[in-house]
Amino acid sequence: MIELAGLTLGQVLTVFTVTGVVVVGLYLLKLRRRVVVVPFVRLWDRVLADSRTTRLFSQLKRWLSLLLALLLVALLAAALGDPRRPGARDEGRSLVLLLDASASMQATDVAPSRLDRAKLEARRIVDGLGPNDRALVARMEARTTPLSPMTDDAAALRAAIDAVTPTEVAASFPRGLRFAVDALRGQPHPEIVVLSDGHLGEARDDEGEVALGDLPLRFVPIGRGRRNVGITAFSVRRYPLDKSRSAGLVELRNAGPRDESVELTLLGDGRPLDVQTLEIPAGGKILRTFEDLAGADSTLEARITLADGKRDELPADDRAYARLPDRRRARVLCVTRGNLYLQAALLLDEYLDVTETPPEAYPPQGRFDVVIFDDFVPASPPDAHAIYLHPRPAPGRDGPLVVTGTIERPLFEQLDRRHPLLRFTALRDVNVAEALAVTLAPGDERVAADPRGPLIVAGTRAGHRFIALTFDVRRSDLPLRVAWPLLLLNAIDGFLEEDAGYLSSHRTGETWRIPVPAETVSARVMAPDGDARDVPIVEGRAVVAGLRAGFHRLVTRTASGSAQTQTFAANLADDAELDITPVPELRVGATKATKPQPGRPGLRSEPWTWLVLAALALLCVEWFTYHRRLTV
Amino acid sequence: MFGWLRRKERDGASAATRQAEGGPLFDASFQAKLEMLALAARRLHQGQSRAERRSKKTGSGVEFADHREYSAGDDFRYLDWNVYGRSGRLLLRLFEEEEDLSVYVLLDCSRSMAFGTPPKFDYARRLAAALAYIALAGLDRVALVSFDDTLRGRLAPTRGRGRIFAVLDFLRAQEADGPTGLGDAMRAFAAQNKRRGVAILISDLYDPRGFEEGLNVLRYQKFETHVIQVFDPGEVRPPLHGDVRLVDEETGEAREVTVTPRVLERYAQAHAEYRAGIERFCAEKQIAWHAVETSTPFDEAILRILRRGGMLG
Repeated sequence: MIELAGLTLGQVLTVFTVTGVVVVGLYLLKLRRRVVVVPFVRLWDRVLADSRTTRLFSQLKRWLSLLLALLLVALLAAALGDPRRPGARDEGRSLVLLLDASASMQATDVAPSRLDRAKLEARRIVDGLGPNDRALVARMEARTTPLSPMTDDAAALRAAIDAVTPTEVAASFPRGLRFAVDALRGQPHPEIVVLSDGHLGEARDDEGEVALGDLPLRFVPIGRGRRNVGITAFSVRRYPLDKSRSAGLVELRNAGPRDESVELTLLGDGRPLDVQTLEIPAGGKILRTFEDLAGADSTLEARITLADGKRDELPADDRAYARLPDRRRARVLCVTRGNLYLQAALLLDEYLDVTETPPEAYPPQGRFDVVIFDDFVPASPPDAHAIYLHPRPAPGRDGPLVVTGTIERPLFEQLDRRHPLLRFTALRDVNVAEALAVTLAPGDERVAADPRGPLIVAGTRAGHRFIALTFDVRRSDLPLRVAWPLLLLNAIDGFLEEDAGYLSSHRTGETWRIPVPAETVSARVMAPDGDARDVPIVEGRAVVAGLRAGFHRLVTRTASGSAQTQTFAANLADDAELDITPVPELRVGATKATKPQPGRPGLRSEPWTWLVLAALALLCVEWFTYHRRLTV
Repeated sequence: MFGWLRRKERDGASAATRQAEGGPLFDASFQAKLEMLALAARRLHQGQSRAERRSKKTGSGVEFADHREYSAGDDFRYLDWNVYGRSGRLLLRLFEEEEDLSVYVLLDCSRSMAFGTPPKFDYARRLAAALAYIALAGLDRVALVSFDDTLRGRLAPTRGRGRIFAVLDFLRAQEADGPTGLGDAMRAFAAQNKRRGVAILISDLYDPRGFEEGLNVLRYQKFETHVIQVFDPGEVRPPLHGDVRLVDEETGEAREVTVTPRVLERYAQAHAEYRAGIERFCAEKQIAWHAVETSTPFDEAILRILRRGGMLG
């Protein structure tokens, strides 16, 4: 007969009972008459005699007054229950409005921007909702964020639409669709409405293609421009052997329909370093490297402008940012009887403070970041990271590796190319006279090896990392190659986590994991637009969901209260977002999106409004009868 | 003339009484008004000589009053020979007997008199004091009697304006507390006061057993009765609304009423009818009746009463 969409029947009855008791209580209080002393009460007898005939009627009027009050409470309690006819809600539609807030929606081909136009269209859809229609507004970017509940409250929906802000990420269409499908499950007359420029890619992700089934898909295409040149890649690195200088790589793409001439400016720490004019054919890409960049120690920024002085229609991809790794001095101890090759290699990095000591004087005073043992194995592992060259322990001693014999003329046949130790190195044709045959401990990595045994081993001993070269470099031609100092400096950099896995910039839309100092208890990220938020720390890294391109600042604090600030860069760098040519139609599998339909006109059939109106009418009657002294 | 009186009043022992009452009942301005009222009363009633008020008794005075038929035993000296010469009828000349007028001021001290702002009782005491002073100034014998359902206090008949202090002290000592019983009280009064005279009853006449019995007692006992009915404006138009429980100040009787404008209207009508009933009764019984509202300045009320005449003239 009637179903309650608001409070349950039990709650309605509870509200009625509690409020009714209060009303009756107040009514009884009202019946307790005020005592007034008069000089001669018998004068009132005549007045009372006149009204005595109507006393019964008066009692009835009193009960009528109470009845009116209780009826008022009952109507309001029933309104709280939001009673509806079963199926009344089925008459309306349930819409999920997916507003594309990806970077391409910042295009200004439609004023003021595609996103603003999409919001305008969304407002029109909300204004055109039927009396029984309901909708949910969600922002679709790398993730999909609901900004309102499924509601028929047009004001709430408009507020949610207003709250949509642009991002500098690529939209994840499958995620948006899956969210919409989930939100509409079990809802009457569901529809998905996508407001986008259509560059959403395939509706397919790791879980497969999104199945819409019979779910109607509506599409509001936004935008009309096509002219756009953007930076699709920007990366910098320090030269391994001269970290005061760096090299950069920039990739540009012209997604527009005509050839473009662009001016590329490179800025280091905010100062211009280089300016180039480049011709990019329609639909073409250009890769530019910048060698030997000096003068930038911290940040690099690439900017492009159209050479004809006009602006392209998507400014969001006209800038790219990169951050150079920080440098700090490392204290290195060389325990050697004299190794010219080793000394020469370490001299290449001016940021190394090298101390030499003979094996007999080991361990010397002082703390070191890295200890290099040249043809010497100490009695116990050092309290620092270590590099072992030809780690043959003295008789009766244990070294980091168990030596079982020797290998004659080993070859670097097996190389772990992904290992950071081998970056920029070429070891294939290195000749070695003899290597130690060693047995690896569990957890040790075989970085380079001959089929007969490992030649370079990485592992951990006593809580510190180590690298071991199982051969004597003086009995090989490795010191004559560039790979020798690279190998050593890669090892030291890796130990200090200075360069290993360093990213000069992150991609927006991904989850960034920024290393933080040990014992960090809190981290706060400040985006380029000034937005600041606390982020969690997981396994020694601050986890940031990045939506903005530019330089971000990460402020970390340790338990002792000391704060440290580091800067990192993020770029849009997405090919799909670069193409801003509007897509006129949208398809998901076999489902072709159609235009949104306006809601059916009519009056909102919500009985609670009538109940409240009835209560108001009753209140008016009570007011009238009270002031006319009909119920008192 | 009354400067010394006012000074004495200001500085005298009555100061403590005034304080106890929360304000002077008979202050300097009141006493000034008494003086003015006494002068006004003289102008209203001609004659300045001693015992100038004529009683209604006929007797041995010099002022001719009436004739009556001669009967055996009458004094021949009073036969009117002129009438006999003209008409042949033996008529005896009667003269008004001149004597001191006894004025009794009867003050209702029932609890209902405490009602009103200011209390009717204070107003009634001022009226009593004023009337007593005027009477004393006219060299009448003045007695004051306070009552509720019985006699509560009595100031013995006294003469001369110097006795006004005794009057004021007597009035100050009275309190409005007790049930109204006009009949019993007036019977007791009449029994104690054989000397007839003017009886001025100051009351609200709110007697549950009816006011008629008390007035009739005075009338039967040949007192020249004057009734001053005192009432508060709040009694006529009570500032009430809503559901109230009305409790009688004297009897504790209660009535539950929902006061509406219509009910108030009916009450005002009932009150007017009650007063009209008193007026009608007094008119029928030749009793002078004066209704005084406490909002009327008491001196104005006194002058109004005096102008109507008959009370002290």
